[in-house]
Amino acid sequence: MLGNIFITIAFASALFASIMYFLNYKGNEGLLKYARMSYHLMITATILASVTLLYLILNHNFQYKYVYSYSDKNLPIGLLISTFYAGQEGSFLFWALCMAILGIFLHSYTSTRGDLEPRVLAVYSLVQSFLLLMITPALKNPFALIYSEPFMAPATTIASQYFNLPFMANYIFSDPATNQLFVKIDKTLVAQLTSAGIGLNEFIINGKGLNPLLHNFWMQIHPPVLFVGFASMSIPFSFAFSALIKNDYREWIKQSLPWTLFGAMVLGLGIMLGGYWAYGVLGWGGYWAWDPVENSSLIPWIVSVAAFHTMLVQKRTANENSIGAFARTNLVLIILSFILVLYSTFLTRSGILGDASVHSFVDPGYLAYLLLIIFMATFIILGGGLIIYRWKYLKKVSPINQNFLSREVALFTGSSTLGAVALVTFLGTSAPILGKSVQIEFYNQMNLPLAIIIGLVNGLSLLLKWKESGLDELLKKVKFSLAASVVSTVILSFFGIKEISMILFTFSSIFALFVNAEIMLKIIKSNFEKIGAYVAHVGLAILFLGVIASSKYDKTQDVNLYKDEPSEVLGYKMTFTGYQPTPDGKYEFEVQIEKDGKKWKALPVMYYSDYNQGIMRNPDIIPFLTKDVYITPVSYDEGVHQHGQTVQIKKGDMTEYENYEVKFVDFDFSEESMKNMMSGLGFSMGAILEVKDKNLNKIYKISPKFEIKDGIRTDKPEKIEELGLTVSLSDLQADNQTVIVKLIHEDENSLTDVNKEFISISASIKPFVGLVWLGTIIIVVGFFISMVRRLKESRS
Amino acid sequence: MKTRYYIGGVIIVVFLGILFYNFTKTNIEYEYDFQKVMTNGKVCKASGVWVKEKSFIEDVQNRKFIFYIRDANKNEMKVVYHGIKPNNFEIATNVVVTGKYENGYFNATDVLTKCPSKYEGQTTQKTDS
Repeated sequence: MLGNIFITIAFASALFASIMYFLNYKGNEGLLKYARMSYHLMITATILASVTLLYLILNHNFQYKYVYSYSDKNLPIGLLISTFYAGQEGSFLFWALCMAILGIFLHSYTSTRGDLEPRVLAVYSLVQSFLLLMITPALKNPFALIYSEPFMAPATTIASQYFNLPFMANYIFSDPATNQLFVKIDKTLVAQLTSAGIGLNEFIINGKGLNPLLHNFWMQIHPPVLFVGFASMSIPFSFAFSALIKNDYREWIKQSLPWTLFGAMVLGLGIMLGGYWAYGVLGWGGYWAWDPVENSSLIPWIVSVAAFHTMLVQKRTANENSIGAFARTNLVLIILSFILVLYSTFLTRSGILGDASVHSFVDPGYLAYLLLIIFMATFIILGGGLIIYRWKYLKKVSPINQNFLSREVALFTGSSTLGAVALVTFLGTSAPILGKSVQIEFYNQMNLPLAIIIGLVNGLSLLLKWKESGLDELLKKVKFSLAASVVSTVILSFFGIKEISMILFTFSSIFALFVNAEIMLKIIKSNFEKIGAYVAHVGLAILFLGVIASSKYDKTQDVNLYKDEPSEVLGYKMTFTGYQPTPDGKYEFEVQIEKDGKKWKALPVMYYSDYNQGIMRNPDIIPFLTKDVYITPVSYDEGVHQHGQTVQIKKGDMTEYENYEVKFVDFDFSEESMKNMMSGLGFSMGAILEVKDKNLNKIYKISPKFEIKDGIRTDKPEKIEELGLTVSLSDLQADNQTVIVKLIHEDENSLTDVNKEFISISASIKPFVGLVWLGTIIIVVGFFISMVRRLKESRS
Repeated sequence: MKTRYYIGGVIIVVFLGILFYNFTKTNIEYEYDFQKVMTNGKVCKASGVWVKEKSFIEDVQNRKFIFYIRDANKNEMKVVYHGIKPNNFEIATNVVVTGKYENGYFNATDVLTKCPSKYEGQTTQKTDS
């Protein structure tokens, strides 16, 4: 109840604040205090709503559908808190919470800078009201009670002592596919429980819990950082909008730059944390799979990075007569980066991606789908409309009339290339909407040349001066880096980089690294404030090198490791030595790894998850300075079963095994054996099979049997000598006319000792994958330094 | 000044050309008609239902998983997946395999199992309790 009230108040006050601020800006001075009041009320109510949800989660109030659906009593505190944003409703509330907290800082920032407050906060509050609208009680709300709509709860979460209450029979259901029992919780059941004196919280004893895929440290950090990034993307957006409202395009660049950098820093970090999660825990094998969900948050990040590069040009070129170059481009890019955040949400929440994504952690919701479209459409129409409306003023941009060798042109080239990457990724990611899907190669092939250009421009742009650089001067500056990069690339090509595209990419990344590192070291003492861009560019170059090494030169081998038998895998001696259960009900499989007398131990994990009804696998990584040894468990075989293949065939049907077609013609019971069976004596059972060798196009008729005498079973397999194939009858089920036969090929028989316990693993060597993480951290540091610098400048 | 726009225009056109060419080339379509899958030999995502009667073969040694799927027109197709049995395979209502048809079977690089929604519409009331 309380939660609903808070959300409703927050929504209403956000909308009210937006209107009041706008009217205040339009000249109604007396309204400022109401605007501020409702703005702060919005912040307070959003925080209170979040506190309420957190309280309900921590107290296991399972009568709330959201709490029931995503948490349970067994979760450790950190994960329990993280269930706050595990589902759609909660994650929108969390997003709104981030907006509210950032809103506090935004208020103090804007209220001390001229007439920024009413314009910017009017837009910001409008965005917030849209977010809150999606979780108001009328729509999809985290405070909905479980019985508000009939709800099928797995019987395991219900106190079993109530099952034999007379009215319960009407509410117990079973799912024939999985044999699970469910209890239908609806209003009438709750009424009946109430009249029986049973509280709903006594009746529901546990929640459904959190998807085990999310049971790890990264769940507690990746989504929150990502949501802060999403929320902060709306701040530069609000500045751009407010510039259009005021029809003044000089100030917003300077004023929004620190926020743009902040947003890009946090969103970028959030994306890469997700990458680490996928790599280190989920076992996707890499940090980037071009999965639509990953892509969809990358696109707005790229666009905002492109935006602040051209924003720098505008800032630099603005003067008394002109609003600076790229004024329109910047408005479009910043507005776009926010709309793309909404688009990302739309892709991931609406369920529109269907099968295209590995992510499926949020229930699709038709309503969210519709609302997000309205949300996006509103801001596209408002933004686009305002730009068109202001077009004649926006035409007064100063043209970039500079020399080709100027920082302006270099930055523009960089931004355009980033724009191209965004377009490529957008197209590929959106393909499922059109019922299509692109292969990973699409992204790799398209983005590789663009990345090469980015590497080169990354280096060159910082060597070029604003307005104009002389070629001689440039050559003088570039001399060292160029020579060093050529030498390094040649050396690396001896170590195995052979493809021309990879050589170019390596060269451009190393070039960027040297140029930026050189300047960085030069100015680190004298001009520390300005070091940010160089640091971030060094980080990107390092990240690129990590990408080249780890994705292009990784080696993978699928192998079965037999217990206590060392195998040679990718130059390491690997031995499976057994497994042990972990306290949380999983199994750790111990793989001893040996090389040059040194030993390591990898502990990949597998377990069966009731939640997902399947086997979950977590890799283990042994990090070295120059590479990661990455062990993904695939399956475990305890080795008690027989070798060969077991197939199940229905009477009259046929199945295929290797080159054979096996047809089950009929059962084979002799009358005598039937008689014996009836009288309890020993008997034999058999099946008539036709085995067709497809290569020889020859059919063999066989009849494997088994005998049971005095309770002892003896198999009587049949062997087709010509094929070296032994067929035995494992079981037969007369009631559904099926036999289970085992086919053993001679070479299998003799070659492998399959009666041994083994695990199948995928082992990979990922060279220099650490550079990807190192690069990310350096980029974040660079962004931070730049942000501090631009924050200082925004005061002047 | 005009030349600059021409050069820019040419770059954009060439880029978009390559983009759409690559997009169509690497595009994988969903295919619901196995007759087509088996004749055209193109990489696609074939969507169908697992043929339960023919069971499946799990070859852990060679890491192969072999089964049959059927489309709406009852066309059956053998699928060889180079991997291990996906989770939820037996209870899947629908199977989407990515790969192409060659040498008499569908060579799958990916198998996606679509599961019945666990809580809605799939349950039948238990009458005996």
